[in-house]
Amino acid sequence: MSFGGSELQRPKRWDKPFSDTMTDEDIARLMSVPPFSEIDESQFRASTSLTDILKNDTRLVPCEPGDIVIRKGDWGSSAFFILSGRMRVEIEPPETSMPASVLGRREIKRKNVFEALAQLWKNHRSPEFRSVARAEAGGTGVASRGAGDRTRVYLEDVGTVLDQYRTATIDSGQFFGEIAALGRTPRVATVFSEGEGELLEIRWQGLRDIMRRDVALRMYIEQMFRERALSSFLRTSSMFSHLSDDQMDELCAAAEFETFGQYDSAQTNRTDDIQSEPIVAQEGHYPNGVILIRSGVARLSQKFHNGHKTVGYLTPGQTFGYEEIAEGGKPLRLSLRAIGYLAVVIVPAPVVETLVVQGRKSSSKPLLLDDGRPMQSADAETAGLQVDNDLLEFVVEGRFIQGTASMVIDLDRCTRCDDCVRACATAHDNNPRFIRHGPIHENYMVANACMHCEDPVCMIECPTGAIHRNQLQGNVIINDQTCIGCSRCANNCPYDSIRMVEIRDGQGNLQIDSRNQPIVQATKCDLCVDQIGGPACQRACPHDALQRIDLRSLVSLREMVNR
Amino acid sequence: MRTFVARRMFFGSMLIIVAVLVLVANAALRVAMYHVAFVSGWFLLGLCVFLALYNIRKKLTALPLGTSATWLQFHIYVGLLTFVVFVVHIDFRIPNGPFEVILALLYLAVFFSGVAGLILSRIIPPRLATRGEEVIFERIPQFIRRTRDDVEGLVLKCISESDSSAVPDFYIRRLKPFFDRPRHYWSHLCHSTRPLHSLVVDIEAQHRYLSDVERSLVDQITEYVRTKDDLDYHHAMQKTLKYWLFIHIPLTYSLLVAALFHILLVYSFAGGS
Repeated sequence: MSFGGSELQRPKRWDKPFSDTMTDEDIARLMSVPPFSEIDESQFRASTSLTDILKNDTRLVPCEPGDIVIRKGDWGSSAFFILSGRMRVEIEPPETSMPASVLGRREIKRKNVFEALAQLWKNHRSPEFRSVARAEAGGTGVASRGAGDRTRVYLEDVGTVLDQYRTATIDSGQFFGEIAALGRTPRVATVFSEGEGELLEIRWQGLRDIMRRDVALRMYIEQMFRERALSSFLRTSSMFSHLSDDQMDELCAAAEFETFGQYDSAQTNRTDDIQSEPIVAQEGHYPNGVILIRSGVARLSQKFHNGHKTVGYLTPGQTFGYEEIAEGGKPLRLSLRAIGYLAVVIVPAPVVETLVVQGRKSSSKPLLLDDGRPMQSADAETAGLQVDNDLLEFVVEGRFIQGTASMVIDLDRCTRCDDCVRACATAHDNNPRFIRHGPIHENYMVANACMHCEDPVCMIECPTGAIHRNQLQGNVIINDQTCIGCSRCANNCPYDSIRMVEIRDGQGNLQIDSRNQPIVQATKCDLCVDQIGGPACQRACPHDALQRIDLRSLVSLREMVNR
Repeated sequence: MRTFVARRMFFGSMLIIVAVLVLVANAALRVAMYHVAFVSGWFLLGLCVFLALYNIRKKLTALPLGTSATWLQFHIYVGLLTFVVFVVHIDFRIPNGPFEVILALLYLAVFFSGVAGLILSRIIPPRLATRGEEVIFERIPQFIRRTRDDVEGLVLKCISESDSSAVPDFYIRRLKPFFDRPRHYWSHLCHSTRPLHSLVVDIEAQHRYLSDVERSLVDQITEYVRTKDDLDYHHAMQKTLKYWLFIHIPLTYSLLVAALFHILLVYSFAGGS
C-alpha cells in the first residue's frame, strides 16, 4: 500500500557527526591512550560501540599558545580531554579574575548623564550601524583565528596573562569542562592553552554513553564533581547551609546525581504535554530523599480528575520533598516532573533525617531562612502561592519560567503607545531590540524580547563566546566585536528572541565581506546594560503595563497579577 | 506602593488635602486683603509648566528622571489640582474679557482633553484585549490588504467555478468598499456592532441566489468580514488612543503661550498693585 509522498531515510543519531575529519587512524590513536585503552569495549552495545562514539561524538582540537578553550560563565555542551600539551585554568579569588576584555567579551561601560543625553542626537540614522565588524587585533589583548566552527579567540600575550593572573596547570591525560557539560551549568573557570597541544572535545552525549558503560570513568567524573562543586552547591541551600564541614562531607558522600529529559537544546523548551515529561518523583510515593534542582526547571503537579494540574515549578537551587521526610516519611503530596533537561542532586532520606530533621528537633529554635521565614522546601512554598491555574499553565507550557527578566505586558493597561519601543530604540542607537508582540494569556502578553534565561541555550554553541552572561548583572549580552554572525544563538533560542541583522557603516551602506556577502550579526535585548537606570522599556511605560519580571519565581508573577 | 488601589488612595488623599489647603489659603489671603489672583495665577502657571514637562520627560528616556509611570501619576493628580486652582484664580465666576474667555476656554479644553485621555486609556485597553488578535497599529493596513487579497482570491474562485456573477457583483457593490480601508470608526468607538451585523445580514440574504459551491465560498468570505471588522475595531481604538494626544499637546502649548501673554497684559495694566 502506498501512502504517497517521498520516501526519506529515517534520521539517525550520527547522521551529523561532531566532526567530519575524524579518521580511522585518529580513532586507533585514541584507543591506544588511557583512559580509552582501559575501557572494556565489550560493555558497549554493537549499535553504539566505543569506536563509534569516538568517531561521531568527538573531535580533535589543535591548540596554539593562548587559545581560550572555555571561559568562565559560558555554557557549553562538551567536555575536553587533553591529549597533549598543557592547559592553564584560572584560579579564584574573583578579584584576580581576568577582565571581560581579556576573554573577548563586551566591556560594560555605563553611560554617564551627558552620554545618555547625547544619544538623542548622536544616534545613527541608518539601522544597525557598527563601527567595527569583526574583532580586531590590538587594544583588547585578544584576537580571533580560524573560521566558522573553528573560530577561536586567543590571548595575544600569554606570558603577560600568566604573570598577572593566578592560574593552575592541567596536564595531558586529564578531563576538564565535564561538570558544566553534563549538568548544563555555566563553566566555573576559564581555561586556555599554555603552548601548542591537542585536545579531544567530546559531546556530552558521547561522554554520557561512555560513563554509562564504563564504571571507572563514571566514578572518576562523579568524584570530580563531588570534589570540585558539590559542597559549594549544597551550601547554597538554606537546608544545608548550617551544617559543619564534617557533616557536609558526609552529605557529599551520600548524595546521588541524576538527569532527566532531553538535553538537546531544540527540544528542551518545546516538549508538549505534561504526560510526556519524565517523572522525577511521583505523588503518593514515599520520598527517597530531598531533591535539589541543579539545572533546568521542574514542574510541580497534582493529579486532578483524569489529568494533572500544574501547581508550581522549581528552578535551580530549590528543593523538593523535605516536608514529607520531616513529617516521618509521609507520601509525596505533589509530583515533580522534568521540563526539558533537568539535573538534580538527591540527598537520601536517612541522611536528611539524621543531619537536618534531627538537628532541627534538637534545636530549640526553628531553622529560618535568611528573610526570617521558617524553612521549608520550595514545593511547599510555591504550592502556597495563589496564582490563577490557567496563567500558571500558560507560563509553564510556554517555558517562560526560564526567564529572569521576561517582558510581561498587562494588555488591560497597555495603551499601545509604543513608548517602550521608542525608548528601546533610543537606548540602542535607534534600533529597537524587541517586538511588542507575543503569546497572550487573557490580558497578559509575554513580548518577543530576550528573557535572559536561567538556562540560556543560546550560549551553548557560540564558537567565540560573543554571547555571554555579564558577570555583574547576569544579563545575557552579545559582544559585537567578537560575534561572527554564525546564527547559532538565533537558531538555538526557543523563543525567537535573537535576530540576525545586516550591519551597516556610517553612510548606511551594508558592510560586506571579501566574497561580497553582507556581514550579519546577532542582536537582542541587553536589558540596557550600559544605560543609567536599567531597562528603558520598563521606565518608559506610562501605565505600569510593561514589567521585566523574574518568572522563575512565582512570587514575582503573583505580585504583577495582584497589583 | 504594591497595588494600584493603594496608589490611587494615596494620591487621591493627597489631592484632597492639597485642594482643601488651596481653598483655605484662598480664604485666608482674601481676609488678609491680599491680591489672591497674583498668587493663584503664578501657582497655576507653575503647575501647568510642570504638567507640560511630562512630554519632555517622555522624550528623555535615557536619563534617570524617574519612571514615566510615576510622572504620569503626578501629571494626573496635579492636573486635577489645577482645576481647583483655576477656579480659585477666576474667583468662582465666568471671565468677562474676550482674552480671558479665550484663555479660560483653552484651559478647559486642555483639562477636559486630559480627562478624556485618562478615561480612554482606562477603557480602551481592556476592550482591545478581548477583541480579535493583538495587532500593531502600523501593521493594520498590511493585514487589511492581505485580508482583501484573500477575499478577492475567493471571489475569483467563484467566477471560475460558477457561471453566475452574483458573488463578484455583490463584492464590487457591497464588500469592496468595506475591505478597501479601515471602516466604521465611530461605530467601533461607540462599541457598536451594527455595521458588522448589517453586512452579515446582507451576505446571508445573497444565499438564496447562490449555488452550493458559491455558498461555501461566501461562508469563508463571511469569516474574513469578521476578521476585517476586528482589524477595524483595533484600528479605530488604537487610533483614538494615539491621536487624542494630538489635541491635548498642541492645546497645552497654546495655553502656555496664551498664559504668558496674559501675564504680560496683567503686569502691563496692573497699575502697581
